[in-house]
Amino acid sequence: MFRYILKKEFLLISRDIHALLVLFIMPILFILIMSLALQNAYSNKIDIKFNIAINSQSSKDIQYLQKQLSSHALFDAKIIQSNDPKSLLYEDKFDIVLNISSSFHKDVKSNTKDFKIDVFSTPELSFQNKEIFKNLIVELISKKVMTEFFIQYKVNGTTLSQLNEKIKLIDLNKDENFTTQATSVQHSVPSWLIFSMFFILIPISNTFINERNFGTISRLKSIDISFISIILGKIVPYFMINQIQIVLMILVGIYVVPLFNGEMLQINGNYGLIFIAGSAVSLAAISFAILIANISNTSEEATTIGGVSNIILAALGGIMVPKYVMPEFMQNVTAFSPMNWGLESFLEIFVLGGSFTDIKYYLLYLVIFAFICLILSYTILKKKENI
Amino acid sequence: MSIKISNLSKSYENQKVLDKLSLEIKEGSLFGLLGPNGAGKTTLVSILNFLEKPDLGDISIFGYDHKTQKKQIKRISSYVPQTYAFYPTLTAYENLEFFGALYGLYGKELQQRIQYCVEVTSLERFVNKPAKHYSGGVKRRLNIAIGLLNQPKILYLDEPTVGIDPQSRKYILDVIKQINLENKTTIIYTSHYMEEIEYLCDDIAILDHHKIVLHQQKQKLLEDNSYIEIELQDEVLKIPSDKDYDEFIQTIKTLDDGKKLIKDIRFPNKNLEELFLNITKGKLRD
Repeated sequence: MFRYILKKEFLLISRDIHALLVLFIMPILFILIMSLALQNAYSNKIDIKFNIAINSQSSKDIQYLQKQLSSHALFDAKIIQSNDPKSLLYEDKFDIVLNISSSFHKDVKSNTKDFKIDVFSTPELSFQNKEIFKNLIVELISKKVMTEFFIQYKVNGTTLSQLNEKIKLIDLNKDENFTTQATSVQHSVPSWLIFSMFFILIPISNTFINERNFGTISRLKSIDISFISIILGKIVPYFMINQIQIVLMILVGIYVVPLFNGEMLQINGNYGLIFIAGSAVSLAAISFAILIANISNTSEEATTIGGVSNIILAALGGIMVPKYVMPEFMQNVTAFSPMNWGLESFLEIFVLGGSFTDIKYYLLYLVIFAFICLILSYTILKKKENI
Repeated sequence: MSIKISNLSKSYENQKVLDKLSLEIKEGSLFGLLGPNGAGKTTLVSILNFLEKPDLGDISIFGYDHKTQKKQIKRISSYVPQTYAFYPTLTAYENLEFFGALYGLYGKELQQRIQYCVEVTSLERFVNKPAKHYSGGVKRRLNIAIGLLNQPKILYLDEPTVGIDPQSRKYILDVIKQINLENKTTIIYTSHYMEEIEYLCDDIAILDHHKIVLHQQKQKLLEDNSYIEIELQDEVLKIPSDKDYDEFIQTIKTLDDGKKLIKDIRFPNKNLEELFLNITKGKLRD
């Protein structure tokens, strides 16, 4: 009997074009778009540099500044003379305009009273980038002054001049054998995978509500089959569909994203753990879908309530915006989204090479969430005398 | 006796739907259940099919106790709801295969039953087409075909001809008659169409005000309604209504000549609908 229940559910989904789009096409597109869009935010390589206009008369000092700025990973500088920094920003499309005296070296050394440097930028430029630029200017001017000082007093400043190269940035993985770098694709694949797994509510609620409204559920209840069989007949096929989603999205990360010049998804973690985390997310998603189907009267109602809930859970859960860019308060709020529990589990496995111990609490939260949804669904069903 | 109901009661939020209802339905009969909207027909059928629980009362179906022998009763029963209770995106075959499996049918037996149900309801042309593309009549036939999969001893048909053309309706009524005759299946048929019940059923009951207000064999019902009744002071004269009208005039004349006081003259109901309206007082029910 169970074989035919599975067959029926798979046939229903395979003929539901909207469900297929939401479950498979939507996450593939999101993974592709977001992996490529966020590539710079994660990568060591930077494709686009900020254009800097050094608004000053050309001098030896200014040429030094231009050379040093252009050798930096984030900036590319030109010397331009203009009385209108606004037009440099909005017409000539510079990102930053640096107003500085051509004799800044001399001014600093002599502590000139009215010495100042103005940095103009459009309001879109992030505060972090402005700070990086400001610190770099301070560093370069200081270096220029210090170099002269070292030469004058015959101080060996080799180490100081090489300080930048001396500072090493080292990622420490929990598992020493694990060498995977955090990349945008490693965030995008689990994020949009979890998002699409929760959208299993569209086919589930459609089937549930249609069965209820068309009277099919009455026919099913008049037949000698147990309530458990009916519920398992719903959970198992959709659980299998979620597993197909996991495999497919991982394959997209490994094989499709690199075709568009994105980075390849690297998984050095345990595949068994991915299955366990995926199963917990699936259980939570299906139970949530069953609850939404039970509180809704029509498919339209379920799609609206479920869709909005999913988007809110995704926004709160660090799916749409990576958690690390959120302020502290919002990072704390993510702890209340089941999507975040799933995402943290996957990131632990994909990025940090975490073990079962590292994800056990997230799994527990997901199972408890699923259990609460199922209990609520049962209570509502019982109340409606549908059992 | 296929169904025996004693003192069945059911209320929703203190609103009585069935009130100490008692009813007996013979094995193999084609039983028509009539009643105005809200009379409790659907509730009664729902209780018999375990879709709702009664508050009080006893039910026995083919000797099985409704409270304790749910499995046995479900195995010999089949319920065809008024709605299209199947999956519209599946074909007739896929629907029949799924519901057949739920009835515990497998392999060759399942295929044979599907074939039988398809033949009886003439669904051959539609077997591999998605049900959502069928006309209303074909959808109704598929609804019934699914109900026949488990060779039920009792088949509940809840308004199975609503919203279809006269040809399809006639075909469905003939199919139901055929099932009843060939398999001796007890059929419980609810409908608003009086002429359907009159044409189809041999046993008729009217449910009103939460109770069975009339339950008779169709033959007896027709006999009772074939006389003009003349009520006198101390007796009631019955004149066959199918006789020449002159006989009725002559009788009235004779009574008048004999100075007999005529208290009332009652003409028979022309058909079941008139009888139904008389019994239910013809009032609008919402």
